[in-house]
Amino acid sequence: MLKGIHQQLDPQESPAFFIQGPKPFSRLMFFCTLSLVMMAVDARFDYLSQVRQWFSTALHPLEVLASAPNEWGRNINTYFTSHNQLIQDNFKLKQQALIDHAALQRLATVDAENVHLRTLLAGDLPIIPQATLGEVLHMGRDPFSNIITLNRGSRHDITPGQAVVDEQGVVGQITRVYPFTSEVTLITDKKLSIPIQIERNQLRAIAFGEGKRNTLDIPYLPTSVDIKVGDKLVTSGIDGVYPAGLAVAVVTQIKQSQDSPFAKIISRPIAGVNNHKHVLILKMPDTPAMNQASENRPVLPRNNAQHLDQSVVEVLQKNNAAVDPHPATETPVLDAAPASPDSGAAATPDNTPATPEHP
Amino acid sequence: MKPVKFSTFLFTMLVGLTFQLYPWSNTGIIIRPDFLLVIMIYWLLQAPYHCNIGWVWFAGLLVDLSTGSLLGQHALTFAVTAFLGLIYQRRLVLFNRWQLYLYVIFLFGAQRALILLLKLFAGGELPDWTYGLPVISDLILWQCMIIWFGELTRPKKL
Repeated sequence: MLKGIHQQLDPQESPAFFIQGPKPFSRLMFFCTLSLVMMAVDARFDYLSQVRQWFSTALHPLEVLASAPNEWGRNINTYFTSHNQLIQDNFKLKQQALIDHAALQRLATVDAENVHLRTLLAGDLPIIPQATLGEVLHMGRDPFSNIITLNRGSRHDITPGQAVVDEQGVVGQITRVYPFTSEVTLITDKKLSIPIQIERNQLRAIAFGEGKRNTLDIPYLPTSVDIKVGDKLVTSGIDGVYPAGLAVAVVTQIKQSQDSPFAKIISRPIAGVNNHKHVLILKMPDTPAMNQASENRPVLPRNNAQHLDQSVVEVLQKNNAAVDPHPATETPVLDAAPASPDSGAAATPDNTPATPEHP
Repeated sequence: MKPVKFSTFLFTMLVGLTFQLYPWSNTGIIIRPDFLLVIMIYWLLQAPYHCNIGWVWFAGLLVDLSTGSLLGQHALTFAVTAFLGLIYQRRLVLFNRWQLYLYVIFLFGAQRALILLLKLFAGGELPDWTYGLPVISDLILWQCMIIWFGELTRPKKL
């Protein structure tokens, strides 16, 4: 009897002692295939970015919840900041503001002069990027990639490709945008390269991130190149992503080997790539915004002084309007603040020498 | 060992995801355990009637989406780890505590090794030795799960 039953049943159909549906191995095969297909699709095509968007939106509340303890901690910290500390900070900031104001006044004059000269030469006006203040949410959850996440996303008109800077220099570039957050790939990431210029002699090159070592590499420069340890590298602005003249890195090491025609040049990022809370997201205008002014009157008679003065005044007003409201606490969106005083100042001399060769 | 409610399982998964989303600082990320992995492997071995390879795979997908890495990367390694875990699932009751620890260390290490392999294929570079540290914090989290939700091994006197 028992034997008969045993014979009738297939091993597949025998009552399972452990209920677990399909065999683990077939499940494994199924899900492995599925994930391999997804990896291929994600790497090659763009279909899954929408999925990411949805997921990110759905997860936003959870993300807020997860970062709440940090937020409270910071608030409590702020609350208990001592009176003394505040006075000290206030004093320091006032001093800094004084210095900055002096620099800005000079910038305004130089800017006006620059505009004046450019209009005289009928050249393009410099591109002044718009800036949005962003806060760093977290430093990336993947130890393999150098990514930080900001609290500004497509709802705040952030688009992939925008440059991200802090008060000292370039931090990176926006690479992925979600509705409420965006990912910044740091300049030290292996996937990112940035066109640079040596500030001292205007030599152009491209710097590549080196991954985890927090340095930049400048390959393809011959051993005979005029570069020294301590040289400052600034953005050259020829890629249309980074505005010209932003500080990028300082050369820290130059190795010249006998068997290679290229020097091995290592530099260290100037911006605190890994340690800041607030950054500026720059938006390059699609059509250089201030060109509209010059398009109205493409050729200016040389002695039309009044006309020129008008344009200079306009520019000055624009600049001042952009620079003056500096509270940065209530209005995170600054109109067009220059990224940093020294880079702004550096941007102008960078552009000027190019123009006289024009006519 | 009482059967676990499905809601408990889902809730721990949600908590794990929240911890996964917590903004870890630079030093924190070195010792951060893989919350979702530990939780899912625990349920896979403790409550196979709720959690199967598919669920673990799904958790891996959530990790992928939250880290912004290539979609399917963590999912693949989670599924493989779950399979490795299931091989000995029915024999776990015979393991003593230390054997079980060794076994889960093997599982978590395998997952990290697989991820490393995938990243290396994708052109990443070899991380330093601290890459292995989270296995230890995984083990601590594993112990917490055992304290909260019960042993996997059978008590001695039975």
